[in-house]
Amino acid sequence: MKHKLVRKTVREFVEAELGPIAHDIDRDARFPWEVVEKMKPLNFFGLQVPKRYGGVELDSISYAITIEEISRVSAAMGLCVTVHNSVGAYPIVIFGTEEQKRRFLPALAGGEKIGAFCLTEANAGSDAGGVETNAVKDGSDYVINGTKIFVTNGGVCGSALIFAVTDPENPRKSASVFMVQNDTPGFSVGEIEDLCGMRANQVSSLFLEDCRVPEQNLLGRRGEGLKIGLAALNTGRIGIAAQALGIAQAAFEASVKYAKERQQFKRPISSFQTIQNYLADMATEIDAARLLLYKACAYKDSGKDFGPEAAKAKLYGSCLASRVTGIAVQIHGGYGYSKEYDVERYFRDAKVTEIYEGTSEVQRMVIARSVLSQPT
Amino acid sequence: MLKLIVCIKQVPMVSELPWDSRTGTLKREVAEGMMNPACKHAVEAALYLKQKHGAHITAIAMGPPMAEEVLYEALSLGADRGILLTDKRMAGADTLVTSLILAEAIKKECTDFDLVLCGSETSDSETAQVGPQLAEELNVPGAAYVEHLEIENRIVRIKRLADDFLETMEMTLPGLVTITTGHFHPRYASMGGLEEAFNTADITILDADGLGLDPDLTGLKSSPTKILDVYSPVANKKNTVITGAVKKIVDNIFDTYGDKIGGTIGKDLKTHEHDDD
Amino acid sequence: MVDSGKDIWVFGDYRNYFRNRVTLQLLSKATELASTTGGRVCAVVFGSDVDEYVNEYIAHGARTVYVIDHASLKSYKVDTYVDLMHRLAFEHNPDTILIGATCFGKEFAPRVAKRLSTGLTSDCIDLEINSDGLLVQTAPSFGGNLLAKIITPKHRPQMATVRPGVFKELPHDYEVTGEIRRVPLPRDLPPDRVRLISSTHEPRRTQKIEHAKIVVCGGRGMGSKNKFKKLFELAEIIDGEVGATRPVVYSNWAPQDSLVGQAGRQIKPQVLFSFGISGAIQHTAALEDAKFIIAVNKNPEAAMMKLADVAVVADANQVCAALIKELKKRIRS
Repeated sequence: MKHKLVRKTVREFVEAELGPIAHDIDRDARFPWEVVEKMKPLNFFGLQVPKRYGGVELDSISYAITIEEISRVSAAMGLCVTVHNSVGAYPIVIFGTEEQKRRFLPALAGGEKIGAFCLTEANAGSDAGGVETNAVKDGSDYVINGTKIFVTNGGVCGSALIFAVTDPENPRKSASVFMVQNDTPGFSVGEIEDLCGMRANQVSSLFLEDCRVPEQNLLGRRGEGLKIGLAALNTGRIGIAAQALGIAQAAFEASVKYAKERQQFKRPISSFQTIQNYLADMATEIDAARLLLYKACAYKDSGKDFGPEAAKAKLYGSCLASRVTGIAVQIHGGYGYSKEYDVERYFRDAKVTEIYEGTSEVQRMVIARSVLSQPT
Repeated sequence: MLKLIVCIKQVPMVSELPWDSRTGTLKREVAEGMMNPACKHAVEAALYLKQKHGAHITAIAMGPPMAEEVLYEALSLGADRGILLTDKRMAGADTLVTSLILAEAIKKECTDFDLVLCGSETSDSETAQVGPQLAEELNVPGAAYVEHLEIENRIVRIKRLADDFLETMEMTLPGLVTITTGHFHPRYASMGGLEEAFNTADITILDADGLGLDPDLTGLKSSPTKILDVYSPVANKKNTVITGAVKKIVDNIFDTYGDKIGGTIGKDLKTHEHDDD
Repeated sequence: MVDSGKDIWVFGDYRNYFRNRVTLQLLSKATELASTTGGRVCAVVFGSDVDEYVNEYIAHGARTVYVIDHASLKSYKVDTYVDLMHRLAFEHNPDTILIGATCFGKEFAPRVAKRLSTGLTSDCIDLEINSDGLLVQTAPSFGGNLLAKIITPKHRPQMATVRPGVFKELPHDYEVTGEIRRVPLPRDLPPDRVRLISSTHEPRRTQKIEHAKIVVCGGRGMGSKNKFKKLFELAEIIDGEVGATRPVVYSNWAPQDSLVGQAGRQIKPQVLFSFGISGAIQHTAALEDAKFIIAVNKNPEAAMMKLADVAVVADANQVCAALIKELKKRIRS
């Protein structure tokens, strides 16, 4: 009953507030601050932060449902919310000291500051070890220099988790995470990326030029960067799997509606077996993706190691989103290719779910490693 | 601290609902439910009073077990307690019986209440009767279609529009009001509210026995009104379907219905010059 | 003397008379019903200086009028009127009481029914007597998508509130006379628990659309704000008003007060054009009084199409544009 009510509540909100503008904010690549204002009191930015720091701490399935429902209407905003929650705020919850939690979490949980997770660089995509941004100890501060690219929420973030190496000779062993606020001198935002999809999300580069932060802003210990990164990404993958599911669901619903309405050869196209097969496959695979996702959620909430499950959910869900949205456009025919209909936006939005927070290739690495490490 | 009661109802989300001719009742369990829109506004009005004066809000719903969902919704919006009145034997209760049952629950569980708030009508049965009848059963003054209300010194001041008369009225508590969908725009439930609602869930479930009511007096049998038949007017409607090329459609409309449309606006729509398109 | 136990009473709701004619409509229907049941048609009037209405009701079908005329009854007050009706009904035992489903009626009737421990059907759109001599009350639910036929087999009086406009009033009969029974105001009447502080008549609150004879409604199916604008053009040519569904108003394609639905305006046009509307009950509930509906939608299965008298399966924008073009030609000539 709880999950049903979560879904209904979120759906009601996003359909009313995001629904009417979803198409336009994508076209104009505009971040809807006015909707963010309304999301704040509903705790959308504190879904995985403990109550005492101003958050809510939803169970993972409720969280996944929330992200799915937002993404079903606007994948770009679903992305904003999940990245903020899973990889922007959550790492602080897990690895932060009490003082850090008290200092950073309330503003994040209340949506006063939007969070960002900055790992990717020009030479560090799937190979996280290629990070070159460095943090040099200077007295009781660290001075950070480097450039982060493709930062989700980059253009709107108030608080960023920056991955930097403290010992450039040993990047893997010395990767560390620093919490940097956007008003820190030396911190600046680059141009907003002109992307194929997720356009309302302000993805950008972040420049750190002699950015000075106190050592109290080091998250966890020096050298724990990779560990924090992996933990963050595991949780993040649940969010992305949910996002992909939301996109697929939206494309599926649009396809069913269109197939019933569109008449060719004097009958609705839903009466043709080819279309019926498409819809049947979509329905089945979406269910499968949903169950995979909820399995990963169950594993996480019961304290089990959920990395491989999250990877499977993300891998399957994102590939499914691409597949389903492609078929959805096909079902819509010429109209599907036009911006008058929403399906082309779902199609454009879907692709990147196979790329970020670990490409499908990386997910397969994670899963294979897990498979091969099982005792036979 | 005010003691407020909000009566809410779960109504089906669909516009057509299967009718069980065997039992003479609607098959509510088949459809997804939602809180009746006017009830949502009643909850919002109660929350308005809570924020202004401090209040304890009890939400009461009567229905099948799945109606518990709207109580959780009310809790997540800010109600403090929920009461579900559910009993198979209550099925088919008309408004007279429903108001009796609700009143019994209020007398039992919420003595010394200050104000009862109800939605003006439901989107399914649309009778708008339960509110006034409940007021009658509780023997308190009532006012329907309330748009604004304020409470001061145990007097509630009401503004409402009824039959083109804008009326300002006062009544001494305890009383009952029904709220329309025109004002008290409902807020969204927050995720924190939802989490809180399911964690602390103060929901009491009562059946006819729990209320101390004779089950035979709570359902279809003891309802003065009986439904003979339910049918869909659209099935009987003479519905003409027009398809084809737009130009032909429009010509068809004017040829067949031009008189009707034209007559309404006092213009002749049927004659026109044939020009070369 | 005819047994009062068969009488059909009609509550005299005279506020907003001359526009509000529901009492006359009910007297007419009561006369029709009484011809089968054999009872008397009586009107019940409370108020101050109400002889004008008493005579009007006699001229429109009431054979008897119960009147309680007192200065303290000048304004309609639920509590007091419920008390008076209760006492009268208790004393005289009518078989049936019909009340117009005005806002007052809908607040008044349930409380009377409760006092008399009887059933009440709300907002009826038809009444008839069946072979068992029972009043069959037809009432809508689910925004008019379902109609129910209801009876009150055992409890008396049978009570119903009736939607204004469904029955036709009898022509004014200048010759007929009727019995006027003046009832004194009971001495032990409790004071009204709801104190009326002020009451102002505000007819301009209702929008033009609520009185419009032609309404052009548009939904999300129109596609965009620019396309929706065409509906305003159509409405202008055809002397109609524009209505909109909730998603349209939320997207700002049309102003808030054009919202037609449970949370907006109730309309009762002679002709309703419905463009690109799927037909959610929140909207269709406000269309129950529309006399003739032409719906245009790509989807023949949409609920709005089933509700319409004429369902045009086509692109709403194209049909709207074509109608405008054609109307310009025809109205000019």
